[in-house]
Amino acid sequence: MKLHCVSLWLLGTILMLCSVDNHGLRRCLISTDMHHIEESFQEIKRAIQAKDTFPNVTILSTLETLQIIKPLDVCCVTKNLLAFYVDRVFKDHQEPNPKILRKISSIANSFLYMQKTLRQCQEQRQCHCRQEATNVTRVIHDNYDQLEVRSAAIKSLGELDIFLAWIAKNHEVTSSA
Amino acid sequence: MLPRLVVLLAAFLSRRLGSDAHGTELPSPPSVWFEAEFFHHILHWTPIPNQSESTCYEVALLRYGVEPWNSISNCSQALSYDLTAVTLDLYRSNGYRARVRAVDGSRHSNWTVTNTRFSVDEVTLTVGSVKLEIHNGFILGKIQPPRPKMAPENDTYESIFSHFREYEIAIRKVPGNFTFTHKKVKHENFSLLTSGEVGEFCVQVKPSVTSRTNKGMWSKEECVSLTRQYFTVTNVIIFFAFVLLLSGALAYCLALQLYVRRRKKLPRVLLFKKPNAFIFISQRPSPEIQDTIHPLDEEAFLKVSPELRNSDLHGSTDSGFGSTKPSLQTEEPQFLLPDPHPQADRTLGNGEPPELGDSCSSGSSNSTDSGICLQEPSLSPSTGPTWEQQVGSDSKGQDDSGIGLVQNSEGQAGDTQGGSALGHDSPPEPEVPAEQDPTAVVFRGYLRQTRCAEEKATKTGCLEEELPLTGGLGPKFRGCLDDKAGLHPPALAKGYLKQDPLEMTLASSGAPTEQWNQPTEEWSLLALSSCSDLGTSDWSFAHDLAPLGCVVAPGGLLGSFNSDLVTLPLISSLHSSE
Repeated sequence: MKLHCVSLWLLGTILMLCSVDNHGLRRCLISTDMHHIEESFQEIKRAIQAKDTFPNVTILSTLETLQIIKPLDVCCVTKNLLAFYVDRVFKDHQEPNPKILRKISSIANSFLYMQKTLRQCQEQRQCHCRQEATNVTRVIHDNYDQLEVRSAAIKSLGELDIFLAWIAKNHEVTSSA
Repeated sequence: MLPRLVVLLAAFLSRRLGSDAHGTELPSPPSVWFEAEFFHHILHWTPIPNQSESTCYEVALLRYGVEPWNSISNCSQALSYDLTAVTLDLYRSNGYRARVRAVDGSRHSNWTVTNTRFSVDEVTLTVGSVKLEIHNGFILGKIQPPRPKMAPENDTYESIFSHFREYEIAIRKVPGNFTFTHKKVKHENFSLLTSGEVGEFCVQVKPSVTSRTNKGMWSKEECVSLTRQYFTVTNVIIFFAFVLLLSGALAYCLALQLYVRRRKKLPRVLLFKKPNAFIFISQRPSPEIQDTIHPLDEEAFLKVSPELRNSDLHGSTDSGFGSTKPSLQTEEPQFLLPDPHPQADRTLGNGEPPELGDSCSSGSSNSTDSGICLQEPSLSPSTGPTWEQQVGSDSKGQDDSGIGLVQNSEGQAGDTQGGSALGHDSPPEPEVPAEQDPTAVVFRGYLRQTRCAEEKATKTGCLEEELPLTGGLGPKFRGCLDDKAGLHPPALAKGYLKQDPLEMTLASSGAPTEQWNQPTEEWSLLALSSCSDLGTSDWSFAHDLAPLGCVVAPGGLLGSFNSDLVTLPLISSLHSSE
């Protein structure tokens, strides 16, 4: 009888946690118009990626880094990567071309909006970072540091499509296009 | 010290440059790019300038973020290379990089790397096929996604682009080449409404994914002809309903016509007996007049005053031939007219044919008959043109028309019997005939036209002829037939003139001459024989007859009568005296 009650209690707790996690995940979903960001990136993709002279090096896709992230870590990883781009990549890249610069600025502003949305989830303690998520973030930063700053920045900007595709996939963002 | 370093450095640099120059003799391809469709990835490059025939190109491929470069083709003469087989995981990875360099013998150029990372974003979306069908005025289309052969079984277009697939449809009617109607559909099955238009429609489809920035390519144009459907269910039903209605209307009209035209049966009261062909009904409304013939009493007529005889009244009863001395007996066949001229004294009944003409001419002026003197042609004596008949008891011609040639009763009053008592003359009233002596003959017969007879002397020799008399104009003729010859009707006597008592009285009101002038022509058609020596001018009729000559109208006498004058019904009372 006690064992039966304990098992039932555990089952209920698990279900509650799962729903909370899902709910939290759903609540921390980014509702940004990703299509707009993707279109902006496509316009500068050729110019940015042409400057990437190290194709055999990647920053975001090392060993399929982003592919192995679990749903529980999506919120944390998304938050960390958004901070990575806003704090390091966009600041390290010096773009001489104004057209490209405008597009990059548009993308950066969109990232800032997404960070604000995720900050709310963090304040509600619904975006908890686990070790796996922290490890992925450290790897990305290490890859970025192995390259020259300008090359790294260029390469990181060139890999925005990867990051945007990962966000769209994990956050189930509806396209408003 | 320093010079040594400079020399060594120069030698090092020259050696390095030389090696580079040796490796960079050939120019590298100016550009390298991917042109990819769904599982159809083709690497293209531009040739190097001034390439020789021995120049070929080396292709290498690198998976993004993973070393090393993999050489795909060592020497390719073409300017493109299909890398689909080595890029099958393009849609599940971060992309590839490719590079190409020119090789000419031992020389090779630098690598030319693709500018962009070849990823799923660079795949141009296409459709496999478009099928169109026509159904109830709609064009139903079905889009088939591409199904490349090199694609793995699990990597389908729908699986890779699972969401937000969209197709843009361009519809064109064949005559117009630049008038497209665009429509976006979000599914592979679509329908187009043609709004009743007919003709050929061509459709093109361009796929896209709204969540992606992939470009789309217009498909091949598919056309379908839309014809007007005449044999639709609705049209067939309407047609049959119309046919049914029309046939019903026609049947109704036909039945109505048959009913209207059916042989109707007359009511019994309206049925009349078929009249006997030999019975002629008088059309004259003279109910008082009875068709009875009574034998005349000669004595009764002797009492008729001469004045009465010679009166105009009597004359009026004449047939109107202008006899100055109209005789009362003109219409009466049973009175013998005395021959005023002795030379004319002869008995026609004796059969003296050639003298008939003379007798006519001699006695015509004094004749009290209708004034018509018939002269028969030179026929057998038996057929005496004139005859005097005595309507006596022995007369067989009681049923004669009652017409007799009566001469003027100047000198032969005895012979002249008041034939007027027959009812045609003296009394003007139509009832006279009925009021007359019962012995009087109610005349309703025909005035037979015969030769004029020598009335006076021939009276005795004349037999009453029972021949029917012709003539409805009034003039009475009396002819004597040769007894010997028997009763032979004169050949000229062909027609019959019905005498109407009423008419005679009315006709006699006018001048006799005038009256006679009118029927002149009619008489001419009759079997009249003009007497060349008719004589005096008193007989205007005779003058009229003169130019006519002795004409015998064998037939058609009745038809020649003026319908206005001959209104009397014909009473056929043919009695042949034997």
